Amino acid sequence: MTARVIEAGGRDVAVFEAGDGAPLVYLHGFADLHGVGADPFPFHQALARARRLVAPAHPGCAESAEYQDLSTVEDAVYHTLEVLDALEIHRFDLVGHCMGGWIAAELAVRHPERVGSLTLIGACGLFVAGAPIGDVFMMAQPERGVDHAGLRRMLFAAGDTKLGNQLFPDGRGEIDDEMRRYQMLRFASFIGFRPPYFYNRSLVNRLHRVTCPALVIWGAEDAMVPLAHGHAYAAGLAGSNGLEIVSGAGHAAHLEEPDRVAGLVTEFLP
Amino acid sequence: MIPAQLFCWHFLAYPYLPADFDEKYDTGWVTVPNALWDSEKSKGLYQVYIDQMALADRLGFDGLVLNEHHQNVYGLAPSPNLIAAALTQVTSHAKIVVLGNLLPLHMNPLRVAEEYAMLDMMSNGRIIAGFAPGGGPETFNYDVPSAPSREKFWEALDLIVRAWTEDGPFIHEGRHFPLRYVNPWPQPLQKPHPPIWVPGSRSPSTLVECAKRGYCYFLSSRSHGSATGQAKDQFAKVLADHGRKYHPFRMGILLSAYVGEDDRTARQECEEGVWYFLKNLLKGHLRTEGRQLTFGPGVPYMPAKAWREYLENSKPGRKLLGDAEDWEELDRSNSIIVGGPDTVYERLKNLIDKSEVGNLLIQFHLGNMPDGLTCASMERFATQVAPRLREYSAKVFAQRFPHTEDEMEGELARSGAPR
Repeated sequence: MTARVIEAGGRDVAVFEAGDGAPLVYLHGFADLHGVGADPFPFHQALARARRLVAPAHPGCAESAEYQDLSTVEDAVYHTLEVLDALEIHRFDLVGHCMGGWIAAELAVRHPERVGSLTLIGACGLFVAGAPIGDVFMMAQPERGVDHAGLRRMLFAAGDTKLGNQLFPDGRGEIDDEMRRYQMLRFASFIGFRPPYFYNRSLVNRLHRVTCPALVIWGAEDAMVPLAHGHAYAAGLAGSNGLEIVSGAGHAAHLEEPDRVAGLVTEFLP
Repeated sequence: MIPAQLFCWHFLAYPYLPADFDEKYDTGWVTVPNALWDSEKSKGLYQVYIDQMALADRLGFDGLVLNEHHQNVYGLAPSPNLIAAALTQVTSHAKIVVLGNLLPLHMNPLRVAEEYAMLDMMSNGRIIAGFAPGGGPETFNYDVPSAPSREKFWEALDLIVRAWTEDGPFIHEGRHFPLRYVNPWPQPLQKPHPPIWVPGSRSPSTLVECAKRGYCYFLSSRSHGSATGQAKDQFAKVLADHGRKYHPFRMGILLSAYVGEDDRTARQECEEGVWYFLKNLLKGHLRTEGRQLTFGPGVPYMPAKAWREYLENSKPGRKLLGDAEDWEELDRSNSIIVGGPDTVYERLKNLIDKSEVGNLLIQFHLGNMPDGLTCASMERFATQVAPRLREYSAKVFAQRFPHTEDEMEGELARSGAPR
């Protein structure tokens, strides 16, 4: 298990790696490795038992440097390709959550030949009429200056969970943790917070280009990216193995139900 | 020597909120239901506010100040340039300060260059051109990404100044606002261009960018304890780093005032308007109750390093102006100065002495304050407070900043103005 900083595209990029075998690239979201924690969660540990897990931090997140020219999701895709080239990973299985899922899908439609399989967990990126993606930025502004219940309700299953309170505590957490959360929001603001909000309207028309096996996993109570988006991904990806709905879980289904979600992913991996 | 410049700032507040607004609604910004807007009651409201500013002009205020906010009850000027246009027709000597047009909200900054140029011509050269990147609420109102907003802001502002000072047409090869033909008609009357003011809350990058260009820095904090003088010292240092000298007219500050006949009646008369302002209009902005949208991790415009410094130097849930629980606490924040003419004079004299800031931007209309009280307070200020403040400030500024006029001349020479 190593955490190191490499250079890719002329920028510092933090990469977490663990396990052996064929490479499994993991792209993170908000409530996730790099987004809230320096250490892998049980979900990531489970993936690393099956494969060589490679999880870079997005530009500006964790110890990764900000990328001055980052302004669209496409920039994030090509940045990720630079990282994988620097690591000499040419063909890989790809798993992404939330914004990481969006980047994964956009990468797969551009370079289907490099992706052995695609797994999306609560991925944003699509426009689905009548099912807007929740405003994570407004929820990140605490109520009464200290209360993060709104953010926890957006990222985890309804109600305040123990995990949610641990990762997004009220008041001021440890400064390093606060920084990690801030950096993730700032990264998201560069590419996600603009009209359109966390989606690329063209993506749906390109999904058919992803011919590798694809699995879509969604928390039944996702309050950030509505379940309708899971159905849309599952319907659009040419190699779709369907949509797995995780009952009792919210947006960060892989953190709330690590065994179930990791089991779905590892069983699916070719 | 130049005395303190006294401006009348009008926010154009919505004054008809229900009495139980604070109980029932968690914000006055962005999501405050517009079903509460009463068109019938509000007929003539803009006229009342414009008349108050016209009165300020007749009373000899040095300038009138407007600003831009959207989808809120705090300020009803989503387009301050419309009000400024009206003011050009009913005022004759006061400067008209728009503080400011929110550049990242504009699809094309040229529109702002054009409208300010129109206003400058319409007002006979009385425009002070303010520019702001927009705070938290605007981010949400107009879906403006926070992270690149500062970079966009400075690109837009530099483009506008070029459009006013370089002959067109020229090509602007900007990252955010690439333009093939920059050639605005009309051009401003003031040369090389209207004075430029930029608000900030002491973020180092804004201080540096203003100092580099010689723009007036408007400190947007509403409370004036020791931090106001510290901000001035900080700006003075940054100016020195960029080969410029501080003088009082390089900065402005915002405060509110109510002048009554004496201290007792002053408080009685303004208290309703003051609490309406604090509890309702600041909710969502400068009050922790509900969800404050002005500053925080959800509006991540600061680079990570600056955010870490903020975290290291602040406490979570710290009290904001609108959190004041009683009059005494409010009074201590030195934000809303209330009293008879002598009290208000003494307190402002003290503020000038401590802060050494020369542009005082004073809000007279507070919350739902009736027209009669607002006008009477402005009149007392203009006749019984302002003359003494001008005399005092001209004297201390002359003693402490004898280089002021040379610096102002130098600034014009630097920007290539014809002599």
